[in-house]
Parts: sequence; structure tokens; C-alpha cells
Amino acid sequence: MAEFTELSVADIRDGLKQGVFSARELTDAAYANIEKQDESIHAFLELTPELAYEQADKIDAAVAAGDELGVLAGVPCAFKDNMNEIGTHTTCASAMLEDYVSPFDATCVANAVNAGAIPLGKTNMDEFAFGSSTETSHFGKTMNPWDHERVPGGSSGGSAAAVASGMATIALGSDTGGSIRQPASFCGVVGVKPTYGVVSRYGVVAFGSSLDQVGPFARSVRDAAETLNAIQGRDPLDCTSQESLVDFTANLGQGVKGMKIGRIPAFMEVEGLQPEVRETFDKALLKLEGLGADIVDIDLPHADAAISAYYVLGPCEAFSNLARFDSIRYGHHAHGANLEQRYEASRAEGFGREAKTRIMLGGYLLASGVYDKYYYPAQQVRTLITDDYRKAFEKVEAIVLPTSPRTAFKFGEVSDPTTMHLSDIYTVSINIAGNGGMNLPIGLGAESGMPVGMQIVGPQFHDEAFFRVGAALEAVCDVPRIAVQKGGLA
Amino acid sequence: MTLSEKDIRDIAVYVRIGLTDEEVTQMTSDLNEIIGTLEPITHMDLEGVEPTFHPIGGLSNVMREDEIGTPFPREVALENGDTVQDGCFEIPSILGGEAGDR
Repeated sequence: MAEFTELSVADIRDGLKQGVFSARELTDAAYANIEKQDESIHAFLELTPELAYEQADKIDAAVAAGDELGVLAGVPCAFKDNMNEIGTHTTCASAMLEDYVSPFDATCVANAVNAGAIPLGKTNMDEFAFGSSTETSHFGKTMNPWDHERVPGGSSGGSAAAVASGMATIALGSDTGGSIRQPASFCGVVGVKPTYGVVSRYGVVAFGSSLDQVGPFARSVRDAAETLNAIQGRDPLDCTSQESLVDFTANLGQGVKGMKIGRIPAFMEVEGLQPEVRETFDKALLKLEGLGADIVDIDLPHADAAISAYYVLGPCEAFSNLARFDSIRYGHHAHGANLEQRYEASRAEGFGREAKTRIMLGGYLLASGVYDKYYYPAQQVRTLITDDYRKAFEKVEAIVLPTSPRTAFKFGEVSDPTTMHLSDIYTVSINIAGNGGMNLPIGLGAESGMPVGMQIVGPQFHDEAFFRVGAALEAVCDVPRIAVQKGGLA
Repeated sequence: MTLSEKDIRDIAVYVRIGLTDEEVTQMTSDLNEIIGTLEPITHMDLEGVEPTFHPIGGLSNVMREDEIGTPFPREVALENGDTVQDGCFEIPSILGGEAGDR
């Protein structure tokens, strides 16, 4: 039998049906692997064996009874720690929520579990998803499975590392400005931010409500498509979620022959784009051409303004969303002589530096007189960026660009906040426009030996377009599915 | 415009986060640096451009029957509260200002 850690979602489903292994055995194997690896990677903040074995027993009973199995039956799965799951701590990697226990399930978690996924535990992240390296977690950093001296990316760094190391077959993350795609790129796994509205946000602790979207991490395009099939759809508890009847696996074998795929020449001139990223990206473009795709140059004229717009809109929405942490109903509480002092002391102790910075920034940008200078123009820029994408998609069926201008950096290498923010330069614009995108691992950097990712973007509510391109390109890119740790210790 | 330490203290009161003197100094420098990077947006020609407050336009309302559902149980909703009394969250007195610590 193949190593449990290398099985795909379909392999697991078939193996269970054919009685090759049980869900209990899969769960045993997953926890044995976590015990072996997670001390050095620290992808998980909490393990939930009780929930996992309860689910495994249900699956095994369903197999024994000959019942139909869900698409994710028996699949070891991890959830980012901003997703509520009954009975687990949902900390957002913050001291603010260190003792918070979820009284309800996020819809994405419930959908994954209803489809048969085994909930292994909750994964590390940047505090409240504010960051691009998982270094701002209150509970310590997560190591990149390829090189423990490097960051896994962020903010969903724990989910990316759990999948890249083989500890989980799939994981869910959330993406406000690149928080699924960038760590997927740094860790060499597939990561998908669907179009805004494809997956319900109910029960996921909000950061930027008009930007946040939940999506899967997986080791193959097909596994990601199966996971998205399971978690998507209209949810009465999230009024922005949309009815979706798309089967994301439907056109995975279609190939890209004759498909018009856009490339953005101006994006290749960005300062800070590493030569190894550019080189690997250009090779992948040639492969797409070799597969029969028609590569077309396109322009997104307002893309330059995306990062400024994002760093206005994101903090403004975060300021508003994080006002709920009042120390009364839940969350860290300090003592104060009156209510105001209690708020101030609780929030001072509960939030870390990056969270405080973003809340302060949002509070300032929304102040009377300042609002008209930054916030209103940022929403106008949003119109321009959305129009740019709409016009581009009149000419092409998908757009490709690097996911990140660089490969995973070393701990402490990037400490200045504005440089850190620049690592999101290729990812933020689709959150602003609402479109979906995927990170696909396309090779290893010639200099660092670390994974390089291509981002494939589709038109709004046509995420099947980037799945199609991703599946075709994946077949001709030889990238290890499980991280090969430097020094051969893995 | 550059934010002063006094501006930072005023914002901190407004967003209800207590800052130490050291944090005020650091925050002043961090916020000024970040705000500096937002400048490009203030120089763009946006005359006549409508704002977009939500990424997905052109969708229609989704309606449903107004039915009685199952409410979230009160005792579950109170589980994460610091102190609870008579089925309510207990908070420091908000009137008079002399109520003292809880």
C-alpha cells in the first residue's frame, strides 16, 4: 500500500470502499505522522483526536453498511484557527482568544465534515490573519517544511505547512490579500482563493468582510477541486454567499489547447521580482504554449494602485470587525475601574503589535476629514481595478502571473512592515476585484531550491477556468508533492 | 501630513487600545511609514469614477419566507463570557463612574 500521506482524496475514497484500509487506520497514520513531524514544524495549534476518531468511526460504519460516501470521506483535514469548530479553541493565533471555545461550527468546517473529512486539528496563522509569514502568531512561528529556517508564508502558514509536509491531505485557509495563495506558493502546494461568494464566510472570524474568502490547500489540482466542491454553495447564514452549481472537477482533463491565456508584461518589471521566480515562471509559460495555449499580452493599467488601495480597505474593515473584541462576551479580559478602562486594558493585553497597528490605521483612515483623502478614493480605485479585470477577460479566458515576487524568506529577513506588505503585490488585486485565483507549484528556484508558484486567475464565478489551466500545467511540471526537507532529514 | 505622538494617543483612545509610551513612539513611526506608502492613491485622477463598496455587482436579492427558526441557546451564548449573572453578561457599571472594579 502506498504511504498514507501520499494518497489523494480519490485514492482514499476508493481504498475505503474496497476495504484496503479503514478510516480509523488513516486517522492513526495521520496522527503518527503529526507526532513525528510537528514538533519541528509547528503547523498545528490544537489537535482534535476525539472529533477525528468519532468521524472515522462514522465513516467506517457507513462503509460497513454500504452507504454512499461523501466526496471527502476519510480525508485527513486541518482547519485554520480562525474557523469555528464546536468544542475547539478558535484563537486566531491571538492572546485575545486564547481561551475562547467555539460554541458553533463555521459553515465551511461543517460542509467539509459533512462530506466526510477527518478533522485533525486547527492550524497556526498570523494573528487575526494580519501578516504574510505566520511570524505574528502569539503561539510561535511555523517552519517551512522545505527548510526549517524559512517562513511558510502567511497568513494561512500552518495550513500550507500541514499539507506540504504530508501531515494533512487537505486543509482550509482564508485569503484576504493572498493568505492562501502566497503560503501555498512558499510551501509548494496548490492553494485556491475562489471568487468572493463561492464559499460561505459564516463562522470564520472576519478580517476584511468585502475581501475575505475561504478556500482549500491540497497537493494536487484535483484534490483542491474536490474539496472546493464539498465546501462551496449558498448559505442562509452568509448573505454574500452564492448558489453555485459548478463541478470544479468537470474540465480537469480538457487541456488548454486553443485557450487564450493572458500574461501581464508590466508585472514582470516589478522591483523585487527575484530572477529565480521569473525564470521558473517563464519556463512554465513556455510549457503552456507547448500544450497549445495561446499566450496573449494584456494590461491591467491600474494594478499599481492595488497595494495602496488594499492597505486602505483592509485596515478599515479590520478596525470595524475587531471592534467586537470588547472583553465582555468573549475574549481576553483585564480589570478596569470603569467600562472604558476595561476595554482599553483588555485590548492592550489581548492584541499583538501588528493587530494594534492595523486597528489604529483603520481607525485613523476612517476619521472625519481623512476618510475623503484615502478611503473614498480607495473605493474608486476598486472600480478601476474591477473594470481592468473585466476588460481583460473579454480578451482571455485566464490570466497567469507569479504568485509572489520571491520564494520563502528566512525568519527575521523581512521585518519592516512596508517591505512585508510588498510581498502581496501580485495577490491583493483579485481580492479587490473579487475574482478567484489559484497557486500552482511550477518548479523549484535555481538559487534557493525553494518552491515557485504560478498564480492562475479566472473571470468572476468561472473558477473552473483556472482549475482547467492548473490541471493541464500540473501534468507537465515535475514538483515533489511532499516537501523534501533541505539536508535530507524529512 | 505626519502624525504626531499626540495624534497617536488620540487615535488610541478612539479605538480603545491602551498604549504604553514606548508603544506610542513605535506606533507613530510605523503608522507614518505605512501612510506614506498610501500616498499614490491621493494623487490619482479619480474625477467622475463611481466607488465600489462590494466586489460582486449585478446580483439580485435572495428572498426567503419569514419563518421562525431555532435560536442560539442562551446558555451556550454565555459560555465564553467572563462573568455571567441571571442569564446576562455582567459588566462594570457604566453610570456614575464610581462603581469600582469588578
